[in-house]
Amino acid sequence: MIKRLFSVLSIFCLSISYAVAQSDDFGIWYEVGAEKKLSRNWSLAGEAEFRTRNNLRTADRWSAGLSAEYKIIKGLKASAGYVLLYDNNAEELDLKSDGLTPNKWTPSYWSVRHRFNLSLSGSIDWQRLKFSLRERWQYTYRPAAEGKRYDIDEEAWVNVRGKGKNVLRSRLQIDYDIPNWKFDPYVNAEMFNAAGGIQKMRYTIGVDYKLRKKHVFGLSYKYQNVNDDDDDMSANSHILGLSYKHKF
Amino acid sequence: MKRIILSLLCIAALCACTNDDQYELSDFVGSDTLTIHYNQQSATFGTLPYFVTATAAGAHVTVTSFTGKNLVIRLSGSSEDGSLIVFSNRKYAIDLNGLTLTNPKGPAINNQCGKSLIITTVGVNTLTDNAPYINTTINTNGDTIQQKGTLFSEGQIYFRGNGTLNINGNARNGIASDDYITFESGIININMAATATNGVKANDGVFIQGGSLNIDVTADGARGIRNEARMVITGGTTNITTSGDCKIETLDGIADTTSCAGIKCDSLFTMSAGTLTITSTGDGGKGINAAEDFLFSGGTLDVQATGTESEGKPKAVKSDTGIILSGGSFHAYSRKSKAVDNAGDELPTIVGTPNQTSLKLTKREVNVVF
Repeated sequence: MIKRLFSVLSIFCLSISYAVAQSDDFGIWYEVGAEKKLSRNWSLAGEAEFRTRNNLRTADRWSAGLSAEYKIIKGLKASAGYVLLYDNNAEELDLKSDGLTPNKWTPSYWSVRHRFNLSLSGSIDWQRLKFSLRERWQYTYRPAAEGKRYDIDEEAWVNVRGKGKNVLRSRLQIDYDIPNWKFDPYVNAEMFNAAGGIQKMRYTIGVDYKLRKKHVFGLSYKYQNVNDDDDDMSANSHILGLSYKHKF
Repeated sequence: MKRIILSLLCIAALCACTNDDQYELSDFVGSDTLTIHYNQQSATFGTLPYFVTATAAGAHVTVTSFTGKNLVIRLSGSSEDGSLIVFSNRKYAIDLNGLTLTNPKGPAINNQCGKSLIITTVGVNTLTDNAPYINTTINTNGDTIQQKGTLFSEGQIYFRGNGTLNINGNARNGIASDDYITFESGIININMAATATNGVKANDGVFIQGGSLNIDVTADGARGIRNEARMVITGGTTNITTSGDCKIETLDGIADTTSCAGIKCDSLFTMSAGTLTITSTGDGGKGINAAEDFLFSGGTLDVQATGTESEGKPKAVKSDTGIILSGGSFHAYSRKSKAVDNAGDELPTIVGTPNQTSLKLTKREVNVVF
């Protein structure tokens, strides 16, 4: 079964590489995590992630986070978390009001961001399907970066100002429990809402494989559709997700 | 199989070390050069810098630049039916590097940028226009651009370099700017046909600091230099000849007479160094005609108005407010009228003590050497 899974994965990767349009990007997100159930209601989790972009040629992000989850009642959970992000900020070219004249240029640079989130998740089971909705408020603060932006008119390097950003993420997911099979497939769609409206949509189809209840391997494909007003300068992306989580 | 796949994924992660920037700092600082070579009926471009586009219809080239760098357009080759129009958001430079360019229906070079244009000459270059000019539309609304001469610029022009630039004007002005023009170096020969007008036309001033400027205008009422603002000469060698007669135009039944002039300026005229020689041979042709003070403090000036006075007065040096001499060598001669018209007086105002041996103060001739 494992061999078959990886064969499928190989074909999948090749298919993506072939299908990726010139304007779309392709990246892989690698994630490892651990989860510890503290009590009947409380659990703690930690995770680390590495992302690539630019058709796998460029490192996009390292991150590490901690979160705590509280089960309020059956089918309703609340969680809070913090993630330290070390981002490779993509190059940005700011044009003047004519839309043609270059104004400021920010080459790619690495910087830290701090992200806090609060989530509320509700779920219901229906036969072998599980429907869940997660609402997550996310605040990300990017500290100022000194001398990272080039002012073309002034011919001088200037600072990138620090800024915070609030995003409401709404994710609807459907899981399917296949009897007598260790693979649990799921699909979800997640909407990223910010002050300017919907910034991006992320669609995921994936499968989790549980090994001896302690090890969970995940494989997913995501398609991220970015609106023009997204300020992360990210492109529409095809993403292969690989994850491992250890449950204590 | 599993190990192979995992290895490939690990390698993919490790290979993610390439920078994905599209630009480099050198794309925004320093200068970029666009080479354009004219080959009679066509023009070829070198590598286009970022934010610069160039198109050619035959050998008629249009360059549009939004670059933040200092753009240098280097021109060479030859065409009997070509031109260059430049739209730029900031100052730029044109290097004339052995260019011979004739536009049979408009300016040879038309700069539509309102900021500085630095023209550097290398070798011998020749620009020629021809009448009639055909309006050039720049958008679907039918808007047209100004084209006031063989070499026209919306912004300032600086002439530099050690080469030669020959301007053959057949329709309008030879060199025209809606701003000011500065001559720093190089040899510039302007030959204007009887179908053309002024040799140099500037709205906001003419500054001659060096080089050699030779202007020959032949049309009636034409000026060697037509300057609507201040004229400042601090160096160089300038020779101007005009041979046209007065131009008489009737508007609403009223006749208006325009006389030729070597230099006509609507503001202050100052000269402190260099050599200026003007010969005006047409009827009523003047040498220098300044609307404000004429201040001469250095250099060598020789102005001769040798024309008749049928329609106008062929004065050598005329100022509406005052002619003040305080240095240098000043010589003015008029065969038929006043050598000097000092706001009505026949003699200039002299400040200091000139050489008495060569001093000559008559109506027809004034010679003052300090």
